[in-house]
Amino acid sequence: MNELKHLKRLSMVKSNTGIKFLTPAVSPGNHCPMRIASVIVEDIEGLSSLLVGMQECTTHSRLFSPKPEGEHGELHWLYVLDSHEVVFGCRDGLIDALRKMDKAGAKAILLIVTCVPELIGEDIEGIIHEVQPELSAPITFVMLGQFKNISYPPGSWKTMEALGRLMDVKERDSNCVNVLGRAPEEEHISMPSLLPALAEKGISLRYIAPGASLTDFQSAPDAALNLVVSPYTQPLAVKMEREFDIPYTALHNLYDVESIDKAYAGLAERFGFSWDDIFEEERQEAIALQNQVKEMVNGLRFVLSTRIDMPIPLSIYLSKLGMEPLLLHLEEYYPEDRINAKELIAMGHNPWICRMVNAEVDLSVLEKLAPDICFGYLWSTNKTIPCVSDMFDFYGQVGYGRTISLLRRILGVLDEIDASRKGGIEHGATSI
Amino acid sequence: MGLHRFKPLPSGRMGIFWTLATIREAALVEFGCMGHMLYSGVTLKRAGVHDACKLYSTHIDETDIALGGTSRLNHTIANVVKNDNPRVIFLLPSSIPEMIGTDIPALCEELQPKYPGVRLLPFGYGGFDVIQHRGVQEALLLLAKTLPVDTEKTPQPTFNIIGSCADLFRFQSDANELVRIMEGTFGMKPLCVMTSDTSVEEIENMGGAHINLVIRQEGEATAKHLQERFGTPYLLGRPYGIEGTIRWIEEIAEISGMTANVDFIKVERRISRKRIAPVMPNFQHIVRSHADEAILSLGGHADVVRGILSFGCNELSLFKGTCWCDCPHMGSEDIPYFSEDQWVPVVQEHKKGYLMASGEVLEWAGLNRELQISNPDTKWHLHPYEPPFMGFRGAVHLVNLWINEEIDD
Repeated sequence: MNELKHLKRLSMVKSNTGIKFLTPAVSPGNHCPMRIASVIVEDIEGLSSLLVGMQECTTHSRLFSPKPEGEHGELHWLYVLDSHEVVFGCRDGLIDALRKMDKAGAKAILLIVTCVPELIGEDIEGIIHEVQPELSAPITFVMLGQFKNISYPPGSWKTMEALGRLMDVKERDSNCVNVLGRAPEEEHISMPSLLPALAEKGISLRYIAPGASLTDFQSAPDAALNLVVSPYTQPLAVKMEREFDIPYTALHNLYDVESIDKAYAGLAERFGFSWDDIFEEERQEAIALQNQVKEMVNGLRFVLSTRIDMPIPLSIYLSKLGMEPLLLHLEEYYPEDRINAKELIAMGHNPWICRMVNAEVDLSVLEKLAPDICFGYLWSTNKTIPCVSDMFDFYGQVGYGRTISLLRRILGVLDEIDASRKGGIEHGATSI
Repeated sequence: MGLHRFKPLPSGRMGIFWTLATIREAALVEFGCMGHMLYSGVTLKRAGVHDACKLYSTHIDETDIALGGTSRLNHTIANVVKNDNPRVIFLLPSSIPEMIGTDIPALCEELQPKYPGVRLLPFGYGGFDVIQHRGVQEALLLLAKTLPVDTEKTPQPTFNIIGSCADLFRFQSDANELVRIMEGTFGMKPLCVMTSDTSVEEIENMGGAHINLVIRQEGEATAKHLQERFGTPYLLGRPYGIEGTIRWIEEIAEISGMTANVDFIKVERRISRKRIAPVMPNFQHIVRSHADEAILSLGGHADVVRGILSFGCNELSLFKGTCWCDCPHMGSEDIPYFSEDQWVPVVQEHKKGYLMASGEVLEWAGLNRELQISNPDTKWHLHPYEPPFMGFRGAVHLVNLWINEEIDD
């Protein structure tokens, strides 16, 4: 297909820069990483922020973090560079701003640095180093120029990683586990069965994600283990392993029953207990569904569209079920994706890799590619490609439960395909 | 600029965007990071603009910046032409190209011969010391200098509205009220409502109008240009209040030589007065006995503040409170420019009387959001049929807001 000629295959992609737009003329495009950072800071009790940028970024950030002050005294202020600072730097102004925020009672401050201050090479780390000794509030920062961070995931994972700088060494609590990547209560997102099961075994869980407090973050280095349930927190887990020697177990990228078995067994072994048959019922359901889907999807060709957290691990799982990846939209090429990519390629697949930024026009390319099934978001008017949508629902979900939900959704779409082949599902007014 | 608790003064680039983004038959391309256009588009939708200019970004990455690459712009324009075939593609200035010195006008000149059917129109004034109002002014002027074609005056009298742009709060309702009044008073149809309800074709033909109604000072340079080129007279002003609107109509009649429909004006005056009559004794009582409650404080665009203040003080005898404008270049002795450091104490100390300002200010202060007269906004405004502030209907609306505020107090 001519429309794909400019793209690279997975084997040729080594970083974000290798991911080409499926079609040019961006409309409406990806979210800026600044958006996610603004959303996160607003949701961490006790954390203040200073967004540094031009009028556009600072104004638009108020779409996501609308109030200058939070309920618990948090300050979410803005620093706008003037024409002089664009040329000569904003060091003095930023130091003055941090002093004012410190004086106004900020407990800790995250500097969110956007395009222009990053482009002029402002030495944010140096500024913090210089001013920190005179401030009570610890300062951390995240560089989020969109010219370097093309889409929203860095706004999440780099921000979470930056918050790691607010952590100090703590005495280890051998019974404490940090759950990285979900809050204890997420609206509309069910709790994975693993977490209450751990609590029942006497493990103390601390949730580190938007919705946690600054104190939770600062206390986190006392944990014996980090459980990663979202790709956005894996870099924080890596950092905490490096700086505080806290091991981590990644669960967010495990879909097949066997891998989940191994991870759960590893947890039981680490804490010296037995799971008994706590998960057996859902495990058996996952196995049964996995076998059922395998029989039905063998040979089906799929594409991954937008709004999928971990496309390559998902593709590996779908390929294990017998499906063939044609084209994957990657929002972000994570460091661990090099290993994930090797695994998918070793399975004999080397799909096209792209970034979809033009919802309406990209759909026409996908229709021409004519996959049997799509995962992710499609332009709302589409009825031509069977689609497993709303994949973001799986945020913060892991284990057998997530696999069961995914497989059920696939079966649902397969039923729709079957029904349409038999003449379609009836719509319209119900007869009375 | 420096430290802000609230939204800063928008840039000239943002002013240009809000001026252009409502124009039909056109596409708007920003050579820059895609987040800008995504969120500008959201802001526009929140203001109730739909089916207008198609919005595109090229995105720009480190390699483009390091090597001065502009191929993304070429590809984007090619795709926009192929998919949308707009009459005009506006090229919006953006902060990164402004920094690295990308010469967008030169690129357009180079690309133009490839697209004979589509005009590529680059906009300047993207610099870091240019603010919103200048951006609006220069965008209006460039449109007027480049798009209008030579034309005769329309056989039936017509008018243009200049300066109705998406950056003003309730811009659509106000423009609709002026159109209604012009049709009722002079039987005149609008040729071009620049730019909140117009197309490339309507801008091209705007030279055929018999009068230009300039409703913000940023539009005066445009009106002067059109006067010079087409001989079109113009009136600068925003009509507020019943008598204020009648004076505005009289000025139009004088400038254009048209005869106003006296019956229409009489009916409008009578209806408006009847509607506000039941509460007029309340205002008289407040003014006479509770002077501290009859104070009108206003913050927003200088022309909006001046207009509403004039209505409140001249027709209802309210007292002028603290009034400020949102543009440092428009500040005057009676309506100075206030930065947030200056308006924050005014708002915090507000206890009695009427305070009308931006949605952001009112929401932060926990004041009545109904009294919003300016942006920044914080809410969605999906339909354009909210009551106006200008004209006869605007007068009734304002009185209604004030009397309810009195009851709430």
